[in-house]
Amino acid sequence: MLKVDNISAYYGDLQALWGLSLQVNEGELVALVGPNGAGKTTTLKVITGLLKLASGSINFDGNDLGKQTAHKIVELGVSLVPEGGRVFSGMSVLENLELGSFIPNARKVKDDSLKSIYEIFPRLEERQKQQAGTLSGGERQMLAIARALMSKPKLLLLDEPSFGLAPILVQQMFEMIEQINKQGVTVLLVEQNVRAALELASRAYVIENGRIVGEGKGDVLLSFESIRSAYLA
Amino acid sequence: MRIFKIIAVALILVTLVCIPLVIEKESIINLFIMTFLYITLASSWNILGGYTGQTSLGHAAFFGLGSLATRQLWINGFPILPSIIAGGLLAVAFALLIGVPTFRLKGVYFAIGTLTLAQILNITVGNIFPTIGALPVEDLITYQLTPRYFLFLGVAVIVVGVSYLLFNSKLGLGMMAVREEEDAAESLGVSALKHKLLALGLSAFFTGLGGGAFAYYFVSYYYQYPFTPIWSLDMLTMVYIGGTGTVLGPIIGAVFFVVLKDFLIRNVGQYHLIIFGSLFILVVLFLPGGIISAWKKIQQARSRRSKPNMEALTTEGES
Amino acid sequence: MAEAIAQNVIFGILVGALYGLAAVGIALVFGVTKILNVAHGELMMVGGYLSFWLFTLFDLDPFVALPISILCLCLIGAVLYKLLFARTVKLPEEEKIKNTMLIGFGLTLIIQNVALLLWTADDRGISTVYSGQAFTLLGLRFPYVRVAGLVISLVCMFALHFFLRRTYMGKAIRATVVDWEAASLVGIDVHKVYLLSFLIGTALAGVAGTLVLVSFSVEPAMGMHWTLKSLIVMVLGGVGNFIGTFFAGILLGVTESTAAFFIPGNYRQVVGLILFLLILIFRPQGLFGRKER
Repeated sequence: MLKVDNISAYYGDLQALWGLSLQVNEGELVALVGPNGAGKTTTLKVITGLLKLASGSINFDGNDLGKQTAHKIVELGVSLVPEGGRVFSGMSVLENLELGSFIPNARKVKDDSLKSIYEIFPRLEERQKQQAGTLSGGERQMLAIARALMSKPKLLLLDEPSFGLAPILVQQMFEMIEQINKQGVTVLLVEQNVRAALELASRAYVIENGRIVGEGKGDVLLSFESIRSAYLA
Repeated sequence: MRIFKIIAVALILVTLVCIPLVIEKESIINLFIMTFLYITLASSWNILGGYTGQTSLGHAAFFGLGSLATRQLWINGFPILPSIIAGGLLAVAFALLIGVPTFRLKGVYFAIGTLTLAQILNITVGNIFPTIGALPVEDLITYQLTPRYFLFLGVAVIVVGVSYLLFNSKLGLGMMAVREEEDAAESLGVSALKHKLLALGLSAFFTGLGGGAFAYYFVSYYYQYPFTPIWSLDMLTMVYIGGTGTVLGPIIGAVFFVVLKDFLIRNVGQYHLIIFGSLFILVVLFLPGGIISAWKKIQQARSRRSKPNMEALTTEGES
Repeated sequence: MAEAIAQNVIFGILVGALYGLAAVGIALVFGVTKILNVAHGELMMVGGYLSFWLFTLFDLDPFVALPISILCLCLIGAVLYKLLFARTVKLPEEEKIKNTMLIGFGLTLIIQNVALLLWTADDRGISTVYSGQAFTLLGLRFPYVRVAGLVISLVCMFALHFFLRRTYMGKAIRATVVDWEAASLVGIDVHKVYLLSFLIGTALAGVAGTLVLVSFSVEPAMGMHWTLKSLIVMVLGGVGNFIGTFFAGILLGVTESTAAFFIPGNYRQVVGLILFLLILIFRPQGLFGRKER
């Protein structure tokens, strides 16, 4: 479904990604793990059009994403939950969700989407009139994911959804992501919490310094000594 | 290299000093005077806008204030040089009136403040003062162009000299640090407020001096004219065309401007203002570093072509 | 004496509504796109002249012709945006504000001089059937034209408020202001949002310009004067709150009017400057704005 082929990207003159390739097949839950500053967020930014692709290609469902603008990519079915969620703080929970359905295809089915979102996230329904900025960290993250789902994506990208959350919330978060995947949404999960990510994902990539340095099935990678010592010690 | 620069500057100065002794034609002397005036104004604006990065949209206020104060003092019997200095100081006073409250805030507030000050002075002076003032008879009879030539030359030399010294000084470096990255500069112990105020003071003072000389120059004096926004735009245009933040930039810009303006007025008359406005916008959009930066880019391209091996050795990627 | 002051206050409110309307135009554009269009006053002037010529040549009542004015101004705004301001959109905020200010300043002088060449420096005013007339209430005089101006300004404010609060596009605009990257990520075309905001600002300028024509007169140099008023009111009101900006306009109008009692007419303009400086010294976020440095 998503084929990232040999991409490079720069922040100004500084190269951040060096010939990176990965693949996500329909229905999978794939993880992208690595240390801080490895280029995980950068990869997501390039896929979603927030950062320009310098070389290589990104193909989604037959569409070349490299030349597209960010909002067009959302229309094609790719939705990103950015780091920290980045909800619209001056606006209510409901407004945030409504904006999630901004694209024409999602807007048509907005009311149905809202209903199912509220089923998955009942807390959001309780707080629908509340200002998004006044929610707790965990609730904001939930709202961010819910908002992304409102656009009815085929591929959901998550940038460190567990960051800054209390451990019990982290557990819930990952369960939720698994649920979402089981309901038919393909997921690419970027995480620093390597153990949880590898346990959850069917397949994973390891990224370091802007390059892919490892790839394999989640549980297999977990058993690698190098991974254990590098990230799980 | 340094000695060549000094010789060149000295030669230019000597030439300029000799001009009025050699050339009789008034229109040419006037052209030189205008050029010196514009060099003064451009270099003054540059100290605040170019070195320190604080954009003033209302420098006409300082030009006008210097002009007005000088004119009033001089007509009432004061000697001309102190009057001009007084003009400069009045400009500084008003400048600080705007600078002190706005420099703590984001740059846009200062710009709006200067625009506000200029426009209000423009309207108020237009309301209070008569349209034209004439010279008292004694001054009219003794009017001579040559001393005025040297006055304008002198002011221009002083301002350019100060610009040059500032550029290479610790104070100037502080100003440029404020321009580039104000917060970082603060954390290194550079007081942004102090540097901004100093730059503002110098800039307003010299613009005021230019205004004072301007008042001394005209026989019939239009009170409102130096306050009109065209002066502000002219200063912006000259500095941007020439190259902000450099010593030579404002000079190049001023000369270019005077020549072009003279040419345009002869040929397209009233449309020259529209052309200048358009030129300014084009420079802001496509060549914000002005002629100086274009020159540097050409030089860089030339040197790169003659050193291909250096390219291969660097590991930086292409942007 | 009290009646005279009250009359002044009335006039202050009526002209203040125009200040507010003009200010909201420039504040909206600045708030959303960070484009500081200092040629806003010139756009008003063009709007005013447009209405003048529609009236003089085609006998169209300026209020009736408002939709035409709005349309024409939007066209002009679209051209200005696409040609000039769109290029600055990608710059970092500080630079963007500075560059757009400069471009606006250049535009100011271009438009002013084109107007001067086309229409001469003469004041232009219009007289309609109802021009000089007023109704009286409690012994105070309410000129029809100016009251109409107040009403139209309020209508515009309500329409804007409704648009921003209730419509999808309006919410998209608000979202873009909060976080333009996150807005892109839900599928909002940020460039369209910017263009739309700019057009709304331009349309408001057109309306304000027409109201200035009927309430006062138009002439090429009025642009800077109105830009200045708009900027002062924008700072007074604080960024981010358009209703607040409108009220700040009314406040400026009333302050200027009542100051006329104590300060000779020639110095009236100074009131605005003093108010501006006071606000910056004591409450830089404006009367109604949120605190941000």
